[in-house]
Amino acid sequence: MDTHDLIKNIKSKKENVRASAWQNAYTIGAPAIKPMATFMRNVDLEVARAAKRALWNIVRYACRPGCESIAKAVVAELIALCGDDQPAAVRREVLWMLSEIGGDEVVDPIAALLTNQDLREDARMVLQRIPGNKSLAALKAGLTAAPQDFKLNIAQSLRQRGVKVPGLPCQKLVPTKETKVEPVGR
Amino acid sequence: MTKQKRKIPRRTFLKSASAVAGTTIGFPYVMSSRVLAAPGRAGANDRLTMAHIGVGGMGGHHLRDMVQRMKKGEVNIAAVCDVDEKRLKRASEMAGPQADVYHDYRYILQRKDIDAVVISTPDHWHGVQTVHAAESGKHVYVEKPACCTIEEGKAMVRAAKENKVSVQVGSQGRSQTDAYLAHRYLVNGAIGHIDRVTCFHYPSPVDNKPVPDSDPPAELDWDFWLGPLRWRPYNQRYCHGTFRWVLESGGGQIRDRGAHVMSCAMWWMGADGTGPVTVEATGTSPPQGLWDSAVEMDVTYTFKNPDWILTWNQHPDFGVPPEERKPGEDKIIRPGYGAVYHGTKGTFVHWGGDGGTWAERKAREWVPPPGAKEVYKSPGHKEDWFEGIKTGKKTIMNIEAGVGVANLCILGNISFILKRKIVWDQNKQEIVGDEQARRMMSRPQRHPYHL
Repeated sequence: MDTHDLIKNIKSKKENVRASAWQNAYTIGAPAIKPMATFMRNVDLEVARAAKRALWNIVRYACRPGCESIAKAVVAELIALCGDDQPAAVRREVLWMLSEIGGDEVVDPIAALLTNQDLREDARMVLQRIPGNKSLAALKAGLTAAPQDFKLNIAQSLRQRGVKVPGLPCQKLVPTKETKVEPVGR
Repeated sequence: MTKQKRKIPRRTFLKSASAVAGTTIGFPYVMSSRVLAAPGRAGANDRLTMAHIGVGGMGGHHLRDMVQRMKKGEVNIAAVCDVDEKRLKRASEMAGPQADVYHDYRYILQRKDIDAVVISTPDHWHGVQTVHAAESGKHVYVEKPACCTIEEGKAMVRAAKENKVSVQVGSQGRSQTDAYLAHRYLVNGAIGHIDRVTCFHYPSPVDNKPVPDSDPPAELDWDFWLGPLRWRPYNQRYCHGTFRWVLESGGGQIRDRGAHVMSCAMWWMGADGTGPVTVEATGTSPPQGLWDSAVEMDVTYTFKNPDWILTWNQHPDFGVPPEERKPGEDKIIRPGYGAVYHGTKGTFVHWGGDGGTWAERKAREWVPPPGAKEVYKSPGHKEDWFEGIKTGKKTIMNIEAGVGVANLCILGNISFILKRKIVWDQNKQEIVGDEQARRMMSRPQRHPYHL
């Protein structure tokens, strides 16, 4: 299967053809990422879903121990999908892919999303998951720059990374919705 | 289709928090059993005061069961909680007027009068809620599987230990009479030395009617339902019940029934507290739809010192051997899941492993010879938990055992997702030599729904 076959099959009307395509997307790897990201926006929800699964299939294969060069190429293609030209749904999915296979090289583009209202919570969680000093530094910088309503979120990530965050204690209980249900029989 | 907005201004909430905002309170609190007993532990004859968190599905079953116990004077039910208003209303009707109703479980945990909580929320909430409850000094009955990630499991064990609370995980198969008979039969060497246990189960379903994402129903707080999970739009095929077939939450049959069948295996093999050295899974994915858990699946767990193999085999067409039928009985009904135990002197089969557990006839009819080893006979899964609460004894499906079994399910799914063998270090409780798999041992959680 080459990229042309993958594209043809991922938009097939037959679910088994689509499934076979996304399950074998790893054989193509990085070159398939951009076209699959495009299909993630397809109006046919099953085509969009198959494209998303093709991306995950590539990501899960690329990070096998000993496949560092494949992973590097995949990460580079994924970083290119973090920009404002992509819809939030695609970027959110890409962020979580990077959380599994990204290293220092993905920190800056992800940290830039800490100011994006739609994606900042995902970006915060993804930085938490990426090991190393660079992601930790990005979280610390993010805490300093964060608006008040987002500081507790980043503080939580820092705590998970073993950092003490004075003045921002772990807060699990926050304002919430009230029930409209009345106890029956009172 | 937007994230739910929270409606109470923070300042207002903080002012009213001590008065338990988010609930409707008309009755005074009932007294906690601890008021009359030793510090931190209910007295042997005291009624425990319960709250139920998550009251649909299995939660409804647990509430019905607890109502019966309340009628017999064994317990009080002080509160019920759900993020689905329809379910909450039904639960209120069932529990009675003394039970307060809550949308947010965290207010229940603030109450000093509640001894214990029954957590029957979707799987992705088990870890967070169990840890919160333990930190609040509540004893916990939590539905199986115990956790969704390895790190959640560690936090649950730690929280239970540090706060000295009794936790029972809802793998109630261990407390069934046939489980006791099977256990006794096997530990007395009736089939010799066992070196292989083959679990069987029918496949996970495929979503043949996929639907687009949509707005959630008015009665459901979708944001809270998702809780620790990363945000995604509501979809009718991913909510009550159907969460079971999504890997990030329910995890498919291996986590649903694996937490029962493999629980029996670990118990009967004396393997609680141990773990595999390698885990290798293969399987098939659904060709369409939102559900992504394995349809068919084979997982091999290799244990060392002592050496034995545990397998999880998820395929159709597991029949019941004809010798199980009674004379004149041409059809026998057993669940399509269970396990075959392979020993040096024969095999043994059990079906089910949850609320229904059937041991093979030869174990049911086995008469222990003089000097035979005896094994623990649970008085019932809830009774065993109550004993744990009142005496401090370890429950039959304590949190360490529950997490151990859940870890098997989690590791099987990680291997299936990554399509490669996983090496596991039981002492360190971590995956070895595979950075991507290691990262999958935990999953960052949304604020404020975190450990």
